[in-house]
Amino acid sequence: MCRVLAYLGEPIALGHVLYQTDSSLVRQSYSPRMMATFLNLAGFGMVAWDPRSAQPEDPFTYRATTLPTFDRNLRNLAGKLAPTCMIAHVRGVSHDAKEIVSESNLHPFRFPGARVAMAHNGHLREFARMRYDLVPYIRPELAQRIEGTTDSEWVYALVLSQLEDPFGLPEARELADATASSLRLLREIRARHGIDTSSPVNLSLTTGEALVATRFSFDYGWYPDEDTLLETDLPYVSLWYTVGGEYMERADGPAMTASDDPRSLLIASEPLTVDTSTWLEVPEYSMITAARTPEGIEFETRDLDV
Amino acid sequence: MSEGASASDDAINFLATVPLLDGMPEAELAELARITRRRELPAGEVLWRQGDEAKAMALIVDGRVSVSLRLPGDRTVQISTMGRGEVLGEIPLLDGGLHSAKASVVEPATLLLLARADFAALVSRRHPTAFALKRRIAGVACARLRLQLAGLAASLGDGAGAPVAEANAALESSGPPDSAYVQRLATFHAFDSLALWGFLTAGRFARCPAGRTLVAEGAPSTACYVVMNGAVEKVIIRGDRRIRVGLAGPGHAFGYESLIDGDPSPVTAFTRERTLLLVLPQDAFERLFHGETTGSHVFLDVIHRDLMVALREALRPHARLAASV
Repeated sequence: MCRVLAYLGEPIALGHVLYQTDSSLVRQSYSPRMMATFLNLAGFGMVAWDPRSAQPEDPFTYRATTLPTFDRNLRNLAGKLAPTCMIAHVRGVSHDAKEIVSESNLHPFRFPGARVAMAHNGHLREFARMRYDLVPYIRPELAQRIEGTTDSEWVYALVLSQLEDPFGLPEARELADATASSLRLLREIRARHGIDTSSPVNLSLTTGEALVATRFSFDYGWYPDEDTLLETDLPYVSLWYTVGGEYMERADGPAMTASDDPRSLLIASEPLTVDTSTWLEVPEYSMITAARTPEGIEFETRDLDV
Repeated sequence: MSEGASASDDAINFLATVPLLDGMPEAELAELARITRRRELPAGEVLWRQGDEAKAMALIVDGRVSVSLRLPGDRTVQISTMGRGEVLGEIPLLDGGLHSAKASVVEPATLLLLARADFAALVSRRHPTAFALKRRIAGVACARLRLQLAGLAASLGDGAGAPVAEANAALESSGPPDSAYVQRLATFHAFDSLALWGFLTAGRFARCPAGRTLVAEGAPSTACYVVMNGAVEKVIIRGDRRIRVGLAGPGHAFGYESLIDGDPSPVTAFTRERTLLLVLPQDAFERLFHGETTGSHVFLDVIHRDLMVALREALRPHARLAASV
């Protein structure tokens, strides 16, 4: 399991959301409040778009397997950046020697030439049994870009393959449809192999202009008797959001400012503040889509029945 | 009579008028009066903020208290205003969670506060008052849940409601799950082996594919169900519109509202995933809910925790609706 932060809106102080709030993303790597037994110590990754930077259509990318709380380079950079769109991710893996902690396994994934980035919170149980059944549904030019050993990177390649142009700039609707199609394919392949253990697939995808996030699980609540991950997995994997004008420090703590039309949307595996009162929970089995508009952002939540 | 005795009598007399405590024997009221503390608060005073750790339940002797929910983007929605004889904060008193809404005094108020630590002491002594109060709070929580759900139902407008529920007898029987598996579920951590055995043998196990309606809104539920594997979705349906008001995963119960208060079910419950259920028919539910055995006490806690989760979950669509206005 991992913790993810996804954002679309007005420039946001990166150092604030990564380090400074009392339940910031980096704090969630070593002190998550909504995970019973896991820590997220297997590395940090981020893609962030800043329209004032050189080549603004390309995001700033950062990945490191070091612990982000001790990463002075990240801390210093974060203090200088104010992106208008981002996904940041702290990776959690089970405490098992089979797990590979490496830079190539860090999220978000963004293949060379692709405009879509994706991070995953969750895991597909028994992925090794189903991995190669995905090959027919993944375009060869994408399959050859898979570098790591995670299920997540394969899911990313699968989603890109469902787009009309995997290297184009899809709108929020097309990205959402590609995500839903991918989940349908994964369900079919799981069924083919008789894989029916609860498998959360909270995905965050963005192009810098559109954002899609899922709160979803295959076979939620179904565990074999001998399952050792049971206690960790029991609650439906969490996802929260807050929406408004700008996310900033206020007299009574960090929160979104008021706005007639939403201009910023912040999505996180768990709220960035101990006080959760300005956050809403994303419903289970659902998807949030958001897109930038001249007035701000347009967003909606819809059921994900795949 | 001393001043202290007079104050205590006043408290007992007031407690006897509180609907939550209606019909409670005087000895139990006296025990409650002994452990409650009186506070007088001016208008504008905040009793607790949303997200504060719950430390006490409040009974309103006089005055008015407003309950409101803070939303993203500097918005606030008022949920209710409460007055004499009403109770607030009873839910986190039981589950030790955080306050889900802000409570502030709108007219100068006198309150009797029952601290969580004092209530816990009563429970750990297995004092009859604690268990009587717990059963009553379950009733209040149930009524509050119905109110919240009715508000959500009203937001959907008119239209055909729930499909007909499947009869219990039609559910495919199954053997029990592995006991080691059950013991790993957080819900059952507090059960000792004997109590767990008593609980697991109080009903029967049934398997159910996804998409089956087990409880229908508007019809009485004939059983309480506990999910062992899989998930059950609780919804309100009006025509082609629906709101999800809860999701019961492993260790969570549903269908108990009718069995607590005798009214029809406020929600429709259907299997979202294929599910293994423990089906507790009405007589088994009543035996566990009203009993005085260790198993009964733990079962009461299970139902309480579930009611608290249901109440918090039912607030979520309220908040989303309000935030989208």
